[in-house]
Amino acid sequence: MTITDPSRPAPRFVRADGPDKVTGSGRYTADLTLTGMLAAKFKYADATHARIVTLDVSAAKAMPGVFAVLTQDDVPDVKFGPFVQDRTLFARDVVRFEGEIIAAVAAVDAATAQRAVDAIVVEYEALPVVNDIEGALSADSPLVHTEWAGYGGVDVLVRDRNDASFASIAKGDVDEGMAAADHVVRSRYVADGCHAVPIEPRAVVAQWEGNKVTIWTSTQVPFDARAGVCETLELPNSRVRIIVPHLGGGFGGKCGFHYEAHVAALARAAKRPVRLVFSRREEFVAPDRRREGIVYDFETGVKADGTITARRVWLALDNGAYTADAGFFSQLAAMHALGPYRIPNALAEAHLVYTNHQPSGSVRAPTAPQTCWALESHTDEVAAAIGMDPVAFRKLNAVDSGAEGPSGQTYGEIGVQQCIDAATAAAGYGQVLPDDEAIGVAIGWWPSFSVPSGAYVKIDGDGSGQIITGAQECGTGAVMTLRQLAADELGMPAERFELVYQDTSVAPYDMGATGSQTLFNNGRAVVAAAGQIAEQLRNLAAEQLEASPADIVLADGMASVAGSPDRGISIDELAGIAAGGELLIGHGSGIPPGAPATVGSSCVGDLGMSAWVAPQFSCHAVRVKVDRDTGVARVLHVSAAHDSGTIINPIGAQGQVEGAVLMGIGQALTEGTTYDDQGRQRNAALLEYKLQTCADAPPIDVHFIQINTPDAGPRGAKGLAEAPNVATAAAIANAIAKILGTPVRQLPMTAERVWEQLQGDQGARS
Amino acid sequence: MSFAIARTIDEALAGLAAGARPIAGGTDLVVGARHGKAPLPDDLVAIDRLDELKTVTRTALGVSIGALVSHHDIETHPLLTSIYAGLADGSALVGSPSTRHVGTLGGNIMNGSPAMDTGAPLAVMGAEVELRSLRGTRRVPVEQLWVGPGRTCAAPDELCVAVHIPAPPARAGSAYVRLEYRRAMEIAVVGAAAVVTLADDGAVATLAVALTAVAPIILSVTGLDALVGLGVSGAAAAVGEMAATQATPISDVRASDRYRRHTVGVMARRAVEAAARRAGGETIAIPVNRAIGIGAPS
Repeated sequence: MTITDPSRPAPRFVRADGPDKVTGSGRYTADLTLTGMLAAKFKYADATHARIVTLDVSAAKAMPGVFAVLTQDDVPDVKFGPFVQDRTLFARDVVRFEGEIIAAVAAVDAATAQRAVDAIVVEYEALPVVNDIEGALSADSPLVHTEWAGYGGVDVLVRDRNDASFASIAKGDVDEGMAAADHVVRSRYVADGCHAVPIEPRAVVAQWEGNKVTIWTSTQVPFDARAGVCETLELPNSRVRIIVPHLGGGFGGKCGFHYEAHVAALARAAKRPVRLVFSRREEFVAPDRRREGIVYDFETGVKADGTITARRVWLALDNGAYTADAGFFSQLAAMHALGPYRIPNALAEAHLVYTNHQPSGSVRAPTAPQTCWALESHTDEVAAAIGMDPVAFRKLNAVDSGAEGPSGQTYGEIGVQQCIDAATAAAGYGQVLPDDEAIGVAIGWWPSFSVPSGAYVKIDGDGSGQIITGAQECGTGAVMTLRQLAADELGMPAERFELVYQDTSVAPYDMGATGSQTLFNNGRAVVAAAGQIAEQLRNLAAEQLEASPADIVLADGMASVAGSPDRGISIDELAGIAAGGELLIGHGSGIPPGAPATVGSSCVGDLGMSAWVAPQFSCHAVRVKVDRDTGVARVLHVSAAHDSGTIINPIGAQGQVEGAVLMGIGQALTEGTTYDDQGRQRNAALLEYKLQTCADAPPIDVHFIQINTPDAGPRGAKGLAEAPNVATAAAIANAIAKILGTPVRQLPMTAERVWEQLQGDQGARS
Repeated sequence: MSFAIARTIDEALAGLAAGARPIAGGTDLVVGARHGKAPLPDDLVAIDRLDELKTVTRTALGVSIGALVSHHDIETHPLLTSIYAGLADGSALVGSPSTRHVGTLGGNIMNGSPAMDTGAPLAVMGAEVELRSLRGTRRVPVEQLWVGPGRTCAAPDELCVAVHIPAPPARAGSAYVRLEYRRAMEIAVVGAAAVVTLADDGAVATLAVALTAVAPIILSVTGLDALVGLGVSGAAAAVGEMAATQATPISDVRASDRYRRHTVGVMARRAVEAAARRAGGETIAIPVNRAIGIGAPS
């Protein structure tokens, strides 16, 4: 790992949750056992599009050991969804994907609950299955939701039949730009959907006491989960408490509101605590969180000197059966399809399309890895058309500090050019390689999300601190890093701080482990809260040391007078004094940086994704080898350079990049969902859905370009959890295309698809 | 439902005679039950503590490998990794390190999956399985053991106690090669094992090739006698074509039949080439997958 600013040495950093997780003493949701607790099981639709003719739960209800069987008739008739209110907790009348819940059972144990589920009788009348993204947009396609026009939704959303969200970004005159080009390059790409695959399948435990319910759940977004329970069960916030035990990974898959309401409703009906634990298959099939498949048509005009004159992109994303948080994906994908390039004339049009597939939703950098893969593959094709080296082409056309991006945003200090230089230099780009190897290069970008967030900090009488935060740790280490921020603010060691987190009734609001926003926003809150205590400490020390508060320096556990290091008092001692008077308590939120302006572009379906605060940039350079006999591609080395602002926790940051790169390798080569002709997943299991393993991991060089970012988070930090997942698959694709002499037009670029391409098959099959 | 722990082979055999199924590492049985492939048998007899079935013994005729010898034992055993390297190649590719520590040779072959990694090596080596019951003991060549996917010719009361492999002749080598999409936790999409004996002039003197996961059972390639006397590269190329022709692969979520038919030919060719290199005295590290083709270090 290299960090460009050597004046900031990497601090030693031990995660507060590390020992629990490594030794196995940590408790996850599925580990919780409450007196009298029942087991929950769901009855799933299995059919992908059908009308329910009969739903008979009487036999299940009559079984011994069964305490509750619920259907939509047993819960408030509430349609929900963050962008389009198009679903209910349980299917009513029509099922629209295989993992849709029809009924839920609570019974003495899981086996009994499953027998009861099996005893539920459902009869269907088959409806036509919408299984093809592009076909769903045709005028004669069957509708996934015949009542779509009556659904409530976010006003700005542009909806039409199977198109749940249309967005466009337009700048200049594309036709004129194309006419001015020396070459116009057109490419078509198809990305299959894929999955987040956290190690921990999700679990939910609910217990009622009086009219209040406590729900322990494996969510990345506890406040969002609370909001979902309150909305669907028609409860006020004050009656719902969400607690998250250790979370076994999420990768976006545990964002949103999932099953907390089902389990709470079961527990209320059964008058007992109830626990739901998903199997791996359920984790694959049921949640409305899956990386969306996308179909792309690109057209780019370029002058012989390498200047881009225009770009036109049409894309369609697989929304699946219901609109989860994918409502803004069309605009986000449109931005990624235009890319971090200077494009004077641009038009991107994106459709979010209903199908009878599992719903799509946030998975680590939603829309970005597959769109970067398509765009950057296309970019290499454009460079090849004018005979220009693809790295030189990117250097020429990529945005830079002070440049205007494709949506009209003008950037402050950004480090994309430095990222290209660092990654390609570390990879040895340009070196002579065997003819079955090549280095591919891609650049990517990702926004920071500026949102409200809160935290408390207190120092007890013994000088030990607590950070009470609404932030959620999903494995990234972002919450763990909050200790460092508070400690630095107060001149104390990070180890003196305990974290109290993941409880909606204890801590102030935070959006959760989503959008790489934790350190950016909750870090700001913790710094503000610690700052209040710092002021208290300086005032106390000033009294004790007979100095001005402005002259008190907090460092190394001491409050000292500036310039007189022998005049000092320990913070522990000050804490003892405060314990007998005004307590050391701080609260913080801070003001989120505002959104930057876009000038000269117009956006339809604008959900705030066309201008990005504190954008992050990256360049990955990947050396790949292809076995021409079998099409198996192997990644030999990855250089990943990132502008994510100031790096506060270098060990954690390196881990984020390494993990994301490995995830990107999986997306590139082996991870893709395939469907049968009814839209059911064919590979919803870990043997058939192939994640990368540690044995597959190549050496990964990580480089951080730390520049002075305007409107960034604490100390100039941006996010980092998602950005490193953006460019890996694209860089791998460009390496494979160099070896093959032609790109593989479908993602993942499986061994068989690479081999088919070598046989002269065009490979792109949608 | 019952679970008994056998302290002796006879106790185990009595359990099988009473209708119980044996369990050793459980890597197929338990995983299969959890995935809904087949429920756990009502009655189980655990044989994992029968130490007499955990030995590797060099005999006058070759080697006898106890049914409970683990894949990890095989991939690290000095005799098996040298003279029977093709078998070690197979065991070294099974699952993960933890799977290889608990998974046994007996379990692998008696599970009868056409995707098993030890089956093709044992077939080309002419191995025999020793089946024992309260009624007596019999030996069955492995190629006659498998009768269909997940099915063997063993009676329900018969326990596999050992695998016997004849000693290879001088200037013989073996190898097992598998198509891998990733380097751990993988199941064979296709694979191939070969035993090659070289004549003094370097030509192929004897040749046996068997294929993994391209037929209902491990498939032995036929008609190889015609290749005796050819040079290694010519024989390997011919074997590749014969393997592709004789295979009867299916299309499923792992691969199409077309791709399987092609790649099994590649695997067969590579297996012959690697076996011939070993026959010539070269040491290729276990598993050979990591030393050739895409696995080769750059």
